[in-house]
Amino acid sequence: MTIPASENSRTVLIRLPKPSASGMITAVAVFILLLLGFMAIFADVISPYDPLRQNLINALQGPSAEHWLGTDDLGRDVLSRLIYGCRIAVIASAEATTIAVLLGVPIGLFIGYRGGWWDWVVMRIVEAIVSVPGIMVAIVIIAILGTGLHRAMIALGILFSTSFLRLARGVVLAEREEVYVRSARVIGTSDRRILLRHILPNIAPPLIVQVTLTVGAVLLSEAGLSFIGLGVQPPDASWGTMLNTAAAFMQLAWFLSIPPGVAIILTVLSVNLLGDVLRDSIGRGIAGDAPQPASAVRVNLPAATAAPEPTAVSRPDDVLRIEGLDVALGGDTGVPIITDLSFGIARGETLGLVGESGSGKTMTGLAILGLMGPALRATKGSIVLNGKDLTSMRQNEIEKVRGNAVAMVFQDPTTSLNPAFTVGSQIAELLRTRKGLSSKDAWKRTVELIDRVGIPRAAERAKAYPHELSGGMAQRIAIARALSCNPSLLIADEPTTALDVTVQQEILDLFRDLQEEYGMAILFVTHDLAVAADICDRIAVMYAGEMVEMAEVNALFAKPRHPYTRGLLHAMPHASDREPPLPTIRGSVPRPGNWPQGCRFSNRCDYKTSACETRIPLVGTSRRVRCIRADELNLGRRP
Amino acid sequence: MFRLIFQRLLALVPLLFIVSVLTFSFTSLLPSDPVDLILGDTGTDEQHEMLRERMGLNEPIYLRYLQWLGRAVQGDLGNSFFNSVSVMDAVMQRLPVTLSLTAISALIAIVVGISAGVVAALRPRSWVDRLATLGATFGQAIPNFWFGLILVAIFAVNLRWFPATGFTPITNAPWEWLRSSILPSIALGTASSAAIARQVRSAMVGVLQQDYIRAARAQGLSARRVLFKHALTNAMVPVVAVLSFQITVLLGGALIVEQVFAINGLGTLAIAAVRQQDIPMLQGLVLVMVGLVVIVQLATDIIYGLLNPKARPT
Repeated sequence: MTIPASENSRTVLIRLPKPSASGMITAVAVFILLLLGFMAIFADVISPYDPLRQNLINALQGPSAEHWLGTDDLGRDVLSRLIYGCRIAVIASAEATTIAVLLGVPIGLFIGYRGGWWDWVVMRIVEAIVSVPGIMVAIVIIAILGTGLHRAMIALGILFSTSFLRLARGVVLAEREEVYVRSARVIGTSDRRILLRHILPNIAPPLIVQVTLTVGAVLLSEAGLSFIGLGVQPPDASWGTMLNTAAAFMQLAWFLSIPPGVAIILTVLSVNLLGDVLRDSIGRGIAGDAPQPASAVRVNLPAATAAPEPTAVSRPDDVLRIEGLDVALGGDTGVPIITDLSFGIARGETLGLVGESGSGKTMTGLAILGLMGPALRATKGSIVLNGKDLTSMRQNEIEKVRGNAVAMVFQDPTTSLNPAFTVGSQIAELLRTRKGLSSKDAWKRTVELIDRVGIPRAAERAKAYPHELSGGMAQRIAIARALSCNPSLLIADEPTTALDVTVQQEILDLFRDLQEEYGMAILFVTHDLAVAADICDRIAVMYAGEMVEMAEVNALFAKPRHPYTRGLLHAMPHASDREPPLPTIRGSVPRPGNWPQGCRFSNRCDYKTSACETRIPLVGTSRRVRCIRADELNLGRRP
Repeated sequence: MFRLIFQRLLALVPLLFIVSVLTFSFTSLLPSDPVDLILGDTGTDEQHEMLRERMGLNEPIYLRYLQWLGRAVQGDLGNSFFNSVSVMDAVMQRLPVTLSLTAISALIAIVVGISAGVVAALRPRSWVDRLATLGATFGQAIPNFWFGLILVAIFAVNLRWFPATGFTPITNAPWEWLRSSILPSIALGTASSAAIARQVRSAMVGVLQQDYIRAARAQGLSARRVLFKHALTNAMVPVVAVLSFQITVLLGGALIVEQVFAINGLGTLAIAAVRQQDIPMLQGLVLVMVGLVVIVQLATDIIYGLLNPKARPT
């Protein structure tokens, strides 16, 4: 995981507060553990008294200048015993963890690599051991070996070796099918060498995490065993035996229980916190360095100078009318995601919203539903559906609109259906809660809907779970669900993208059929112009959060007026011409916050002039374009 | 569903067999000679030899195992070496005590763990989330028996709300049973609440980002319905998978926490058995505990199958 220096410094500058908070916790945890180690090593030097020296006259005293933490029932100095307890704690966790690793890892590697009979027998034994409460396993082993620190730690080592065994086995099973291990085997590398050179290094990261988890568990178990008298034996001072003493004198001297308890908690807490940090950092290392969201980078956009733009003539039969919509991340002063968006869709009409990923198409759909997520807000403009403005609605009001007046079909049908319920029950649930149908009627209607979207044996399929259906089938179900409450607007977000090409056509046909029957308006979001050409009446092209062109579908394809639209059309594959290679638009859509000032497409445009550096308004009525050179350029279908 | 239960039951056979072999062979490794334990220093060599013969100790170990197993499946776990009481009777007498603590603490752990996890997941990085995470981190670091001591000091010795020690059987006085179980169960359940809360939080955060949650909201289902029906059902899948492990941990923890409250449960029996090298008692205790764990596992497997259709055999 190497980060270029400049990248690193920038990240640090922006994210300063968070790492310092968690960094401080890590530092404190490390400090406590170092302190523990220091006390364990120098216990003889720093403890004020001999931990075993009794002084019955001074028994059970509270904290004083002489005995900072008081004395126990035999007048022994609690602080000194606590310090010697550090030594026992370190020895205990080191011993048990080492035994667990040395026992578990080799056996796990071996059975994972050999597999077969060995693997089966050992794994059944492991299963048997873990099905007995751990403390009972330790108790049985102690019954065999006898009590005392080292014997108890052997018992815990054997107990915890099972988790290392399973971990090592798991890594081997995952790694041995990797190509590099197989090829090493093919060229005749010895098994031992494969295990040592190729597989062992992959165990290190999870092993480190498991070690920290085990150390914490060992400390707690040791204290528990010593507490019930099966671990460290008196008069030796371990935190567990100290608590054993404290338990007997709870009514007389409750303070005795505090120092060893706090010592255990602080130590286990530090080890666990360190383990969390290690796990997180190792997890990140595996996932790769995810790019920072652009949220931290702010750009000062010029105030919307082009403000009162000529909006398209409001058509009376519009189901949906979006007017001057702005969406921003983090409120009014935040990063703009969508700016100045206006369009309308009439009953029975299909409007295509096209553009590359990151142009704001999907966000537009979610904005209509008010489901953009907590960080995003519509800061300006209006979304009027059936004459009602959705942007001013409260949560419970917009919930009534969703599903009833507007419904959405998502890109991936297999993830947009809940895996825990049958598909039929997910549709019937809507009919019951939204339409007030009885369970029986709801189910009947559900089967009808499933039948209507072209699924054979509907009554049977309604009882299927999403994972039992093919992608095309699941998308039909999702469409049936969206239609269940007769919405006047259907938002389809890339509904065919995740499907096979043959299935795509069937789904498009289904949309057309359903629109004819139900007469709803469709907002069809896609990046695929061929699909858009097939199903849409009009197409709106979006780029970097704004609309750059909108036209009736044939007009747009015949004569694009914006260079971006032309680029998209040229990038469309055609069956007729295999060669030359498809032209592409150079570069990629800039992220929100990094949009160029002026025309946002200017840094990728071949026709850029100095005039493009100011904000460009969207002009026109039925046919609209946002390009200052739209009139002079002649952007034919084919150059 | 019945297939799932049948499959699980079938898988238990080799497990129980191996547990019995392990238990028997390990306890046979105990250093002490049962004959010496029973007769002590008294008795002649002939008497020792006679007892040895009568207990079947001169026979090969596999034969002794088979005899032991044959009696064990009939519910006869032998007699204690120490005081000749039936192991089964002794264990069954203490079992309700330990079971009470385990069950109540499991209930506490599940209720507290799930509520804290859900609340934290709803507002990631908010102060509620930080507080829950902090509490969970501490909860996992606190030794249950120490927490028990502190609870006794505060609520039994000082406030006198609960008895400091002892246990009242539910059949005697249900209210007193609850009063005597509540402190030990809290002490026991805290660490598991913490573990479950962490699990629920991470599962819930993951589920809430899923498409099907957004889709359910897009169809107009209320936030509450989506949260409690659609999200929680899915978030419980990984949680249920670790639940049987947590209950096993609670059962083991009960053995120790019982000592804090001077409760006469399986823990006291186990500790005495270790000290007295009472082989039949240890064997019996392990088998009974495995039996309990297996029942819990079976139950959680069934719940897992109900929650997660993909886990059901087709």
